[in-house]
Amino acid sequence: MAEVKREAYFEELPGPRSQEELEEMKMPYEEYCRKIFDPKSTFLKPEALKGIRWLSCTMYIFTPHSVANLAELGAECIKFEMPRMGDPMRHTSPFNEAYLYPLHDSRPRTGTGLGFTNANTNEYFVTLDYHRPEAQEILYKLVKMSDGLTECYRPGTFDRWKQSYRYLMEINPRFIYVWGGGFGYGPKTFGGSYDILGQAHAGMSSITGFHEDFGGHPTKSTNWVIDWYSGTHITVAILAALYWRRKTGLGTMIEFSQVQACTRILGYTVPLYHRFGIVRQRWGNWDTQLCVHGIILCGKSDYPDAPNPQLKYDARYVMVSAFNDADFKELCNIIKRPDLFEKYKTHKDRVHEQAQIEIYRTLEQWAADKSRSEVVRILTEAGLLAMPVMNDKEVYECEHYRQRGTIRWLDDPIFGDVLVQSGYSTGLMSETPRRVRWIWRPVGADNVKIYHELLGYPMSQLQKWYEQGLI
Amino acid sequence: MREVKEIEIKSRADTLKMRPWPVTPPPSREEVTAKVYARRKAEEFCKFIEDIVGFEHVHGKPEALQGIKVLDASIWRLGGAFCSSLLAELGAEVVKVEPPGGDPLRKLTPFGREEYMLKDADTGEPCGLDFISEMRNKYSITLNLETPEGREIFKRLATQVDVVIENYPPGQFDEWGIGYRQLSKINPRLVYCWIGVLGQWGPMKDRVSKFGQWMLDPFSQAACSYIHNTGYPQDFLPRGSGGDPTRNGVWLADYVAGEQGAVDILAALYYRDEVSGRGQFIEVTGAEALMDILDFDITWYAFNKSIKARTGGWDPNLNQYEWNPCKDGYMMIGGQTDRLWYRIGMCIERDFPQFGRLIHEDPFLKEMAARNALHALIKTYTLTTRWLREITRYEAEQKLLEYDVAAGPVMYMDEVAEFPHFKYRPWVHLVEDEHYGTLMYAVPPDAYQHRTPARVKWLGRPLGHDNSEIYMRYLGMGNEQLRELKEKGVI
Repeated sequence: MAEVKREAYFEELPGPRSQEELEEMKMPYEEYCRKIFDPKSTFLKPEALKGIRWLSCTMYIFTPHSVANLAELGAECIKFEMPRMGDPMRHTSPFNEAYLYPLHDSRPRTGTGLGFTNANTNEYFVTLDYHRPEAQEILYKLVKMSDGLTECYRPGTFDRWKQSYRYLMEINPRFIYVWGGGFGYGPKTFGGSYDILGQAHAGMSSITGFHEDFGGHPTKSTNWVIDWYSGTHITVAILAALYWRRKTGLGTMIEFSQVQACTRILGYTVPLYHRFGIVRQRWGNWDTQLCVHGIILCGKSDYPDAPNPQLKYDARYVMVSAFNDADFKELCNIIKRPDLFEKYKTHKDRVHEQAQIEIYRTLEQWAADKSRSEVVRILTEAGLLAMPVMNDKEVYECEHYRQRGTIRWLDDPIFGDVLVQSGYSTGLMSETPRRVRWIWRPVGADNVKIYHELLGYPMSQLQKWYEQGLI
Repeated sequence: MREVKEIEIKSRADTLKMRPWPVTPPPSREEVTAKVYARRKAEEFCKFIEDIVGFEHVHGKPEALQGIKVLDASIWRLGGAFCSSLLAELGAEVVKVEPPGGDPLRKLTPFGREEYMLKDADTGEPCGLDFISEMRNKYSITLNLETPEGREIFKRLATQVDVVIENYPPGQFDEWGIGYRQLSKINPRLVYCWIGVLGQWGPMKDRVSKFGQWMLDPFSQAACSYIHNTGYPQDFLPRGSGGDPTRNGVWLADYVAGEQGAVDILAALYYRDEVSGRGQFIEVTGAEALMDILDFDITWYAFNKSIKARTGGWDPNLNQYEWNPCKDGYMMIGGQTDRLWYRIGMCIERDFPQFGRLIHEDPFLKEMAARNALHALIKTYTLTTRWLREITRYEAEQKLLEYDVAAGPVMYMDEVAEFPHFKYRPWVHLVEDEHYGTLMYAVPPDAYQHRTPARVKWLGRPLGHDNSEIYMRYLGMGNEQLRELKEKGVI
């Protein structure tokens, strides 16, 4: 037999292999990005986690979000709720004004509040009262055919119901079991937790807001930021565990404390305290490490006649950044205060706290007779970095996010037109983009799909359970 | 009794000393078992949990991402650094590629104070603490990507790795011939992740000033309405004193983007190894990643044109769910469901009997959802603060915990480090670093796992410390060659 002696195959040589690829290599970069991240082709591409099935015995935002990330990436996720009542987050809505109906087939005049948005995207919603021993068989069956579970009950509760890791690892050794909660093992293990407890307890709010000397208070983030952020952190751990399981076939237990996750992102706060005994304080809208790099107030509103006070009075803030010497010099020239640059020539001089106070005050004096858009226009035209502090209306209308598909309308199968701000915005992926199919479904909407179609219980059994309040 | 170490501060020099930690030791395991776990008859289960996920066993267990190689070329922003930290904590081998002058983040220190920077044992070069605390388990090499030779070396490095992370201005790497388009041709298995502020394409993409200054967080916080919606309303505090839209104290959007980057990278690796055998291009931005987790704010505007306003320490969606001033600081209380709502009331009623009459007997406040109306929030929180102003944070916490209510004080860093639960677990821990001495770090929250916990092996790395090891291991370049490249300014 004659051996093929060729050392390289044409197909293996680097470089474009087709006309299409050649054009792709030649097109301007922005056009190339538009092409491979094209929002219109989301549903033409495969899903990264296709075939993974995850159970979600979760409530509120934190633990649900860890599963929603998987569901956006293509995993099949089943969310368990208490019969008729549902996740408490469904009863949460800003000032009690925005609801989507119905909550449950027995409660047509109660709705699910917008507070529930984005935390349980794409999931199947079943009900199960696992306080009752009859529920155990149903859950065990699902555990045998799933890859993992996330739960958020107080430590020991699932153990009492014989569905903790101790029991489930025996049923399915490949099972990845996640407990997410406030504190984890230790003296405060039974302490309940919420997002703002994380912000308060772990130190983030002590460094957010204006300094006491300026009359400020510790400030809460507008969103449930630590809930969402720690939920995603769990997803990182889950994906790593899945990756490990490919090699070993073994599941694991992840015990995750949400409050601790907040301390993790305090940056230099932690080593600064230990090495030098300095307790970091708040520094308002300026930056402790860079100057100029902060938010200033302008005198005039962009919407002087708008009836909404959020537009009339608050569309007045600009983020300005000119910390490098050349940028700062240019900024001083624009505001006609070249003496300020002479005084603070190096970044080390500028970033000193007294210098910051003087510089930002001077900037605000300059902006006192200008509107926000004027300030942004002047600085941008001069080649500096500035941007308005945008509000919800402006973000909604922003062309940038629409073109990128990170804000888009969804024709939800149950609720109709809903604007989606999440899922697509977690990152664009060229091969396996995330997607949002439905924002949520009513309580128990998928009982038939899961209990009858997947587990094979007859419909009469479901009816009986429904009447008994088990599902 | 526990030993208490006194700290005496007589001059400024005394304040710049290493803090003893912990000042008082945490409670022992027996104490916690007897006093806490026993209360709910969970001793056996909690013992099981501590045995399998306990922090003390971390270093004896395998690492989930062992064998994954990551090239992190990001500088300035923390997004790329946090993303690669998460992967490095889970066991990936992360090589940080810095320009010969180093990542500019190394030079940043609060208020420009060099006394808060640390000098490494090798070169004595001072380094900022933000950089050190995010340089977890990473190697540092130098490479000048502005030279053609440097880019050639970067290309060769990229053939050896699974993941490339970068955050240069839009199109910069592509122009240099080391973008996704080019690298995916020579390494089709490569997962390439760009982490930015607004995007590398689109009408409002990332900009650079005409003098070359990059966009950094909080631009991303400003672009997604996070800042506009955060802070105290003008009715609470005057403008300039906190009654303004407020940025987060840390570069929050960077962290959020870095974390979503890690999720996307791990999903892409899973898909590559399970299905396709090919990598992909990922683009994460701070503004969008933060918008993803901005509750329902934009959806709400689309629903009924509501522009979310600032509500300070209160939450407009839940009642009770807020922090309010008390005698010595601020106290957070949370509990929305009826069960918790009435428990909070019962607790307050003990000291302040009118609370029950005014709150529990108000028919309007009996329905869970109705309690979120603005006037209901004002009434509830006014009366709660009336109770809080007489007591300290500690007293309030003890009283509320008796009723199993989620409650906690607003704490500063020194209090965080000394909180008994946090010391027990531990929350923050010390590492004796080879280069920077003893350092305190926040323990990765995914360090509590049965099989593959995250861990910190070292913190911080002198610039270019690993040049000879990494260039030899990845590219077979010896010291002689490196010396030549160094002379030419390539590394």
